[in-house]
Amino acid sequence: MSAAVMPAAAPTERVESSSGEAEIAYVSYGGEQHLPLVMSLVDAELSEPYSIFTYRYFVYLWPQLTFLAFDAKEGKCVGTVVCKMGEHRGAFRGYIAMLVVLKAYRGRGIATELVTRSIRVMMESGCEEVTLEAEVTNKGALALYGRLGFIRAKRLYRYYLNGVDAFRLKLLFPRLDLGLPPMMMGDERDDQLIDSPYL
Amino acid sequence: MDPKMDSGIERSGYYSIEEAIEDGIAPVPLSLDRTLDIQRTLDVIDHLFSCEATWHKGHTLAQTVFTCIYLMKMERISSHAVLNSFCRILRATCNAVVAVVSTARTHEEEDLFTMSFGLPLKDEGDDKCLSVLNSVEETVSRQLRACKSHALSKRKTLEGLESLQDNPDVEEGYCRALLCRLRFRKHFHHVVTCLRRPHGRGLDLARKHVASCLSELSLMLKSQEFLKSQSNITLQQGDESCTTASGCRPFGFDVSLNSRLMSAAPPRAVKILTWSDALGYFEKLLRDLDVICSLSLDPVLENVLHFIAQFQKSVPDLVPRAFLQTLLVQDGKLYGRDLFCDVISRALSLPDIIGDKEFQMNEFVVQLGQLVINLLKILCTNTAWQRRKLGKSLQDWSTISIQLELALKREFGETRNVLDHENMCMRVSKQLLVWTQEQTYWVASRFLILGFELDLYSPSEYCMVYWYMHVVFIKLIEKMQLRILASNENGSARRKGKKKKDHSKDSARDAAFSSSCLLLQCYVLLSEGLSMLLAVLRNEGKSFLLPTIFNTEQERFLQHFDLLQKARIPEHITYYSFKESAAQAHMADVMKYNFFKEIQKIIPSLKGSFASEPEKLAELRQIEQVAEHNRIALNIINSVGVGDPSLRVSFEFTHHPHFAVAVVKRS
Repeated sequence: MSAAVMPAAAPTERVESSSGEAEIAYVSYGGEQHLPLVMSLVDAELSEPYSIFTYRYFVYLWPQLTFLAFDAKEGKCVGTVVCKMGEHRGAFRGYIAMLVVLKAYRGRGIATELVTRSIRVMMESGCEEVTLEAEVTNKGALALYGRLGFIRAKRLYRYYLNGVDAFRLKLLFPRLDLGLPPMMMGDERDDQLIDSPYL
Repeated sequence: MDPKMDSGIERSGYYSIEEAIEDGIAPVPLSLDRTLDIQRTLDVIDHLFSCEATWHKGHTLAQTVFTCIYLMKMERISSHAVLNSFCRILRATCNAVVAVVSTARTHEEEDLFTMSFGLPLKDEGDDKCLSVLNSVEETVSRQLRACKSHALSKRKTLEGLESLQDNPDVEEGYCRALLCRLRFRKHFHHVVTCLRRPHGRGLDLARKHVASCLSELSLMLKSQEFLKSQSNITLQQGDESCTTASGCRPFGFDVSLNSRLMSAAPPRAVKILTWSDALGYFEKLLRDLDVICSLSLDPVLENVLHFIAQFQKSVPDLVPRAFLQTLLVQDGKLYGRDLFCDVISRALSLPDIIGDKEFQMNEFVVQLGQLVINLLKILCTNTAWQRRKLGKSLQDWSTISIQLELALKREFGETRNVLDHENMCMRVSKQLLVWTQEQTYWVASRFLILGFELDLYSPSEYCMVYWYMHVVFIKLIEKMQLRILASNENGSARRKGKKKKDHSKDSARDAAFSSSCLLLQCYVLLSEGLSMLLAVLRNEGKSFLLPTIFNTEQERFLQHFDLLQKARIPEHITYYSFKESAAQAHMADVMKYNFFKEIQKIIPSLKGSFASEPEKLAELRQIEQVAEHNRIALNIINSVGVGDPSLRVSFEFTHHPHFAVAVVKRS
């Protein structure tokens, strides 16, 4: 990773939407007071059932990977991302467990912002890759993650309880120790400009 | 506890079967009014039909077929001839199908199918189920004949005690409705039994029963109008959810009865397929089984692989796939008949080796035999699982190739002037190596192709995928040609003094090989053409760019082709090989080489070669369409100018499942 890493985002950061819509504030998971907000969002919007033990598992062990988005004016929680990371078959891997944005707030890049923050923390923590599952019919999620560099690594037949297939999406971070190209030929390794502000 | 997690929260049923029975949920007879009784019996039959289809689609028996109290407690219905005979044969058929699928070994998400914790799937009396059904069928059939003759003589009363119910005006309708359902059950049971016969001996007979099943299915559909007209309108379910022909909800089912049995199954009640969807499912199932019945027990491996690949195109469900697999591999032999070492020696075009003990015992041949068995089994699974396993198997194929190569070098090195026998051994070993490499590339090509069918590639990745595909296809052709060359050498050694008819057999085989190579050549041209076109669009048109926020194209290349790269398929191919090739793609070159035009030159002769093979002809037509559309698209892009900002190019799979067609629009 590049040495010029941006300083970690302040706990609360306001991002003003260019279209003049509601200002969104992004907050890192701060404690028990955030848990019911996360739970009610996920329960309401996602199809898979989770118990409270599931939520606690994620937010207690990896609070730095959970982010919430608030409508600053109304003080309402409108989106959240819940993740984990750890050793998996010899690789240090991040996993995006849940990503939700209230219907009325979709299409404004809130989900992208939430996920991007989480991935950045994973990257800085030394993860080699990030993975998640998404329904094959979830065009929105597939486009979002595709734009961030995830590939569809596998298709999982009838993965969900409603019989729908899933894709396992994976993002592989660049590795510094990969074999260098024949530098003598004058090949530029970085001719594809990595132009993200997150690196 | 969250109701989504614990099915116990949603109490909609009874705590035990006895409680349900006591509450009158499953009366025997279903009504004292004989007309109502037969109506309700038909509803039970239809709902069981829908449950059976739902089970096949990937749920547990406990949540589908065995939600039927009559089926769970068969001793209660021994006095009800129709229901008893029907349930008995249904249960026997389910048991047989579970056995076949268990033998084939299901995986992961399909494991639910064979789960039958403590369910009464089998009983002593079940082997007599056919004769029990036959006697009921006989009775109803006689009754139907009597109805027809009554109708002719215009008599108003029904004679004899064998009527289904008491209203003579509707007796014929009910007889017909019941008869086709009983006959469907009978023929379906025969299909399952015949397909289970070893060595594919029952295929012809199975095919006849499949045809009978299909005609009974259409009679079942015809009966719907009558049954609907007879049923109580207030009791009818909505069209979107009705699981019976009459539209009425059936007696005798409770979805939560088995909830304590099903510890490993998902907690929610399953949505049972509608009756018309169930009809659709069984129709597809029977057509897929019909294809399997057309299996010619061809001992040539290449043809077997082709058959399976073709069969998978219709996306068959678990049950037909399991039948195919158990037919292909039984007792470690092809069709339960041919040793795989003989299958391999036939593939090497070495008939003299068939039965040769030394060849059979050779460690490589034994390992290769096992790899072929695994390959056949993998090819019969659902495509999602199949692709993962094919990818993993590449390492095994590659390893054995390397070992064969090393053994060859070790044994024969660079020596010339070898003895005749050693010469023969060397030739066999060489051919074995070439054949192994060919199979490896075949597996690799299928792995890549399936990615399109599973929608695993995004448009910005097509360039690298088609590039890798063309590389693999080129190697596949190379190995195929080496194999033909080697077998011709063998052939000429044997051919001295052979009769004419053997010559024509050899030349027929050569022609088949060369048309296979030509078809692969079409694939190479299509892949290369598409890859270059996409590279040009990126280089000069700045479209189909990959996002570069967290990673680069290199990471995506490594991920997609990780298994191939690890197995060195092919060797010396890296991301940089692709990058260089793509960077050098310019419009002028693409127009100069005009891959799509080249394909159009090859196709006419291929059409002649495939004249007697409708499936191959169909694919040729698709390839022709793809080539033509892309050739035109290329011309348009070239004339407008690839950098023109008004140009919008997208890629659609409108003509061929793996080869895209460029669609050019101007905004």
